[in-house]
Amino acid sequence: MITSKTPLPSGATRPPAPSRRRAAALKLTAVVLGVTLVAAGCGDSSENGSAGDGGGGGLDGKTINFVGYGSDNPWGAYFNKVFTDKLEAEGAEVVDLTTMDPGTAVTNFNQAISNRPDLIVAALLDTSSMVVPIQKAKQADIPVLVFDGRPDPSVDGDVMQVLSDNEALGVAAAQNLVEGMQAQGKDSGSIIAITGTKSGFASQDRMTGFDAEMAKTPEYEVIEVEDGNWDPALTGKIATQLIAKHGCEGIQGAYGMANYQAVAIIASAEQAGCEVGGDNGWIVTGSNCFKAGIDAIKAGTLYGTATEDPGTIAEQTADYVARYFNGEDPPQKEIVQEERVTADNVDQFEAQCSNA
Amino acid sequence: MNALSAPAAPPRQRDGLRHRPRLAVDAVVVAGVLAVVAVGLSTDRFVTVANAKAIITSASLVGIAALGLTLIMIGGSAVSLAISQSVAAIGMIFLSAQSLGLIPALVIAVVVGALITGLQGAVVGYAAANPVVLTIAASFAIAGLATGISGGVSVAPSGLGYDHLNATPGGVALSVYVLLVLALSLEWVLRRTAFGRSLYMVGENRVAARAAGMPVGRTTTVAWLAAGALFAVTAVFTAAFNTSANVNLGGTLTFDAIAAVLAGGTPISGGRGSALRTLAGALLVSAVSDILLLRGYSTGVQVMVKGLIVLAVVVLVHLRTRESHA
Repeated sequence: MITSKTPLPSGATRPPAPSRRRAAALKLTAVVLGVTLVAAGCGDSSENGSAGDGGGGGLDGKTINFVGYGSDNPWGAYFNKVFTDKLEAEGAEVVDLTTMDPGTAVTNFNQAISNRPDLIVAALLDTSSMVVPIQKAKQADIPVLVFDGRPDPSVDGDVMQVLSDNEALGVAAAQNLVEGMQAQGKDSGSIIAITGTKSGFASQDRMTGFDAEMAKTPEYEVIEVEDGNWDPALTGKIATQLIAKHGCEGIQGAYGMANYQAVAIIASAEQAGCEVGGDNGWIVTGSNCFKAGIDAIKAGTLYGTATEDPGTIAEQTADYVARYFNGEDPPQKEIVQEERVTADNVDQFEAQCSNA
Repeated sequence: MNALSAPAAPPRQRDGLRHRPRLAVDAVVVAGVLAVVAVGLSTDRFVTVANAKAIITSASLVGIAALGLTLIMIGGSAVSLAISQSVAAIGMIFLSAQSLGLIPALVIAVVVGALITGLQGAVVGYAAANPVVLTIAASFAIAGLATGISGGVSVAPSGLGYDHLNATPGGVALSVYVLLVLALSLEWVLRRTAFGRSLYMVGENRVAARAAGMPVGRTTTVAWLAAGALFAVTAVFTAAFNTSANVNLGGTLTFDAIAAVLAGGTPISGGRGSALRTLAGALLVSAVSDILLLRGYSTGVQVMVKGLIVLAVVVLVHLRTRESHA
């Protein structure tokens, strides 16, 4: 063994220490890379015969790789609990690859492909970045089920889907606003809308439904649409600025796409001295329900919302998976039934909507 | 040409040459502020009482957190990247403790906030840990703990006392008054107390401060404890505003606070800065966002302009600091 203190033969030169360290690091990297490639090769050649084969046999013993929303998100936390508990109770193994980071979701999806599960169940945090992983899953003959938000149109036919009805949620929001203002005897009104992330399909689809419904009553005009990025703090700031721009009297209705955004709008309006709810105050609506929204409806500050609660879609997604593995051949795409929620029926939806 | 061969300029002329670049930087700053004022004045509905309230209300929550970050930055500890997570966790604790009453809940929130951030400060101050790396790790730890304990679901208030924080005495949000009082108090502490003076010295040159026998570890820890208490104040107002709290409550607060401090001209290298500068920075960012919104620009443009403001101020502060050291 040659150490740094070992004498060298005359004429021989010792490589400088950094070079030797670099060489050692390169060798180590090569070994790690080699092991990884061999493992990957073994993974590719292993066949469990069940990937893409959902017909018959039920859930017992099936492996599901779950690339869902992270449990650090309240909606995701409740969805994950309901979905995982239901499938594991029927004997399936659910591998948790959930995250709220779009980049990590792509990595986790690729990891799921290399795991060769019987099914990948995924939520698409970033539809564009998930196109290639979905195509890779198809090439590997691994079935994919997408839930909540729809996939990019280029891979629409490559995945099974259990989707929230975002257009219906937008329609419900518009109906809440118009109904509320009409009940106050206002035959016209100006409305502000603060959306989720505008570039996302969920926001776009909700605005499609919202705009179409609002177009039926042109006397109620949407005067501002701002991107609130599903962020209550940002929503509150935008609402404060819009109130300064138009004044309390210049706005009669407001749409916060998520309930927590609608609650932030209400707080901003009240801080600015605007009346909310009641006989002449602002009509504010959300379009998916959280406990904060249900409390606000009961307090009379939020006129209404719509469901899209995590429990309902989790139940339907788990049920879809069960039908798939039971060979019942469910339709490629299922839309979750959404319900409009107002003070008239809030008691009916309170429990359903109070889990996030 | 060397110093010996160079003709000796008269002292007054040399000073003038030395200060010329500094004057140019100051001129750019003044021109920038004048440009913002000019654009504001030419923007419909900008010069109204309601809009002034909107600007300062928007600045208030970020501003209070930025005051805490100012202490960290002046002390030469760069930044904390765990502000959002700390605010979220403290907001959850505050709402959970509402059943005890508003005052006990506030005390618990402030104490826990001070301890969470103060502990990080002790590691930075006594063990010379890299604050950026440490606070990244802390942010993951805090978010993980909060998620684990809460099960990921939103925390609803266990009482109604929190609603007092949404009060609007005189038509202005309570958080605005708190921001102004805290900014003035902190400025006094920084300028008039032994702690303030030692914080500047520690931030200016930590090695020299230690060699001079100054309590570097203690000064840094106290600065972070106070910063944590200020983050907690932001947390309680944010939680009260949203009426619920989860691990995402802090949103982009970490970067918004950093932007406000930097826009105020406090250098990230430490040893300089003030609470009032940070207040000005928070108001500047809020005013520019407001102008852009009033002029119909999208949120994306607002975020981009915020980044450009921070970049411009950082460059100007760097140039000015270099010239003053020349």
